Amino acid sequence: MIDQFLLGLSVVMQPNVLVYAFIGVFIGQLIGVLPGIGAVTAISLLLPVTFYLDATTSMIMLGGIYYGSQYGGSIASILLNLPGTPSSVVTCLEGYPLSRDNRAGLALFVAAFSSFVGGMIGVAILVLAAIPMTVIALRFGAPEYAMLVVLGLLAASLIGTGSQIRSFAMVVLGIALGLVGADQTTGYYRFVAMPELADGISLVSLAMGLFGISEIIRHAAVRSPPGSPLPIGIRDVLPTRAQARSLAMPILRGSAVGSFFGTLPGTGAAIASFMSYAMERRFSRTPEKFGKGHLPGLAAPEAANNAAAQTGFIPTLTLGIPGDVVMALIIGALILNGIVPGPRLMTEQPELFWGVIASFFVGNIILLLINIPLIRLWVLLLRIPYQKLYPVIIVMICVGVYSHRTSVTDVVLTLAFGVLGYLMKNYRFEPAPVLLGFVLGPLLEDNFRRAMLIYRGDFTVFVTRPISAILVACSMALIAFAIWSGIRACRRAVRSSH
Amino acid sequence: MQGAEQDQPSIARRAMSGAVLLAIGVVMLVVAWDYPVGQLTQMGPGFIPRVIGLMICALAAGIIFIDVISPNEARDARMHWRGLIFVSAAILIFAGLVDYAGLVPSMFLAVAISMFADDQVRPLHVLVYASLATLGGWLLFLVVLELPIPAFWR
Repeated sequence: MIDQFLLGLSVVMQPNVLVYAFIGVFIGQLIGVLPGIGAVTAISLLLPVTFYLDATTSMIMLGGIYYGSQYGGSIASILLNLPGTPSSVVTCLEGYPLSRDNRAGLALFVAAFSSFVGGMIGVAILVLAAIPMTVIALRFGAPEYAMLVVLGLLAASLIGTGSQIRSFAMVVLGIALGLVGADQTTGYYRFVAMPELADGISLVSLAMGLFGISEIIRHAAVRSPPGSPLPIGIRDVLPTRAQARSLAMPILRGSAVGSFFGTLPGTGAAIASFMSYAMERRFSRTPEKFGKGHLPGLAAPEAANNAAAQTGFIPTLTLGIPGDVVMALIIGALILNGIVPGPRLMTEQPELFWGVIASFFVGNIILLLINIPLIRLWVLLLRIPYQKLYPVIIVMICVGVYSHRTSVTDVVLTLAFGVLGYLMKNYRFEPAPVLLGFVLGPLLEDNFRRAMLIYRGDFTVFVTRPISAILVACSMALIAFAIWSGIRACRRAVRSSH
Repeated sequence: MQGAEQDQPSIARRAMSGAVLLAIGVVMLVVAWDYPVGQLTQMGPGFIPRVIGLMICALAAGIIFIDVISPNEARDARMHWRGLIFVSAAILIFAGLVDYAGLVPSMFLAVAISMFADDQVRPLHVLVYASLATLGGWLLFLVVLELPIPAFWR
């Protein structure tokens, strides 16, 4: 394991690879700082660029964007009370009161340091789990893959915020969109309304429409409240010894929560940070301090989202099953480069596999080092109004989608998905489950059909094979949890209405 | 959407989002009805579409039911018509022009038109900013990345 990790380090330390690792984490931090542009938009914008790079460097760069954005997201949350990424929504709760209290420097330092520790623990778990997971993954047959996808889709819709039935409906809608095009086994054309759809809907169009265009439509005319970012008291950056001691356990707990939700397919950094904040608050001896700039409430979710951003690569790299939307795009990038991720990736492409993992180790160190010195630059950047940014983003999306397949239809489809995403959000449907269903749907259909073919339509195969049975049990537990919490919420609503 | 109706949107309005989803499910079932379904042991290309279509219809029915019985939760956001219209126009004009007029004119028009999504914009400002953005785009896409798209119509 250490040998493999060193092999990975030797890959990353090549100057031309290191440059892309740096570019990735830098772009990641940049887009994390800017509200309204997330890792999903940035990665879909850069998907066409990765054709010109080899698979390892594109993975290192795209991965860097993802975990880099987790660092950057906290900066806008702390300074402006604007979450730069979905996973830094809870960072606002404790971070912004701290900067109103003129302790922004301290808040930024604690956020960066917790992110670093969380990220490093995530990387360590990724390194430790990679080989055992691959061994397990090699025993995955069609029933196991089908059930793992089911578990992931259930987790994506049942855990987290928002209405569960609405999220689940969006997962199913995503699966439906994934059906468009030629059937994988028979080549039969399904829902091919125009000849351009024969290869299916382009992932780039769907992602940029749902996440890029829809947000621009929503925010183009909305002015952020005037007022410049608060002056930062950089003098008091370091926590006192007592503060530092009180942070050790929250950071470790946050990392543990984050590592768990990152590994679980279907959930990612955003859910991890929410869960970790809720847990910190519940187990705190001083819950009344939360919401007023309580440092443990800042440190734990920051550690959690960064740990999750790293362990999210465990199912992605070993099973080829994306943990969340960003992972789905990264798998898309790998497939566009002609590499199918799965249990064989580690043995067939060790340089890629371990190089990518080692790049996370290096990338986290780079992020910690550039974080504090660059804060002044990010503060300047936050002064750019959104009205200056969005026309440029529109053009980048248009050119990116068009150059992907030199297809005007893809550009029009991107707009269609943008309008769809905008309307969905207006009617309280979340767009993220759609993309996950779109990516996982074909995997589910393929493996389910194969399982039924091999085991002659016998459904008991899903519970007689041990790994599959465990996955079914987890799915059942999730459903039970969802029903239980639904009933509890209903009761509470009934009680409060009386 | 606002005003007196705000507290109690009509049943039709509350049921709308679910109804649209139901329509999608029904259209899907109708289109996919002729696809060969096969048997469980040997599924045809129509098997999963039919299952998914039925699931969408069932979930949509559930959503309509929940939205109608619990009006407090059914509150939809307002529409941003200006953003919707100008962003759509910008992208459609880019899509329509890029094959004929080349990258530079279509980028210029896309930036310029999309800027009108902001209601406080000034025409001169648009002209300057769109020119600058087009120059930047030309440098990035055609000079640095060397994308195989003609700059002007040939």
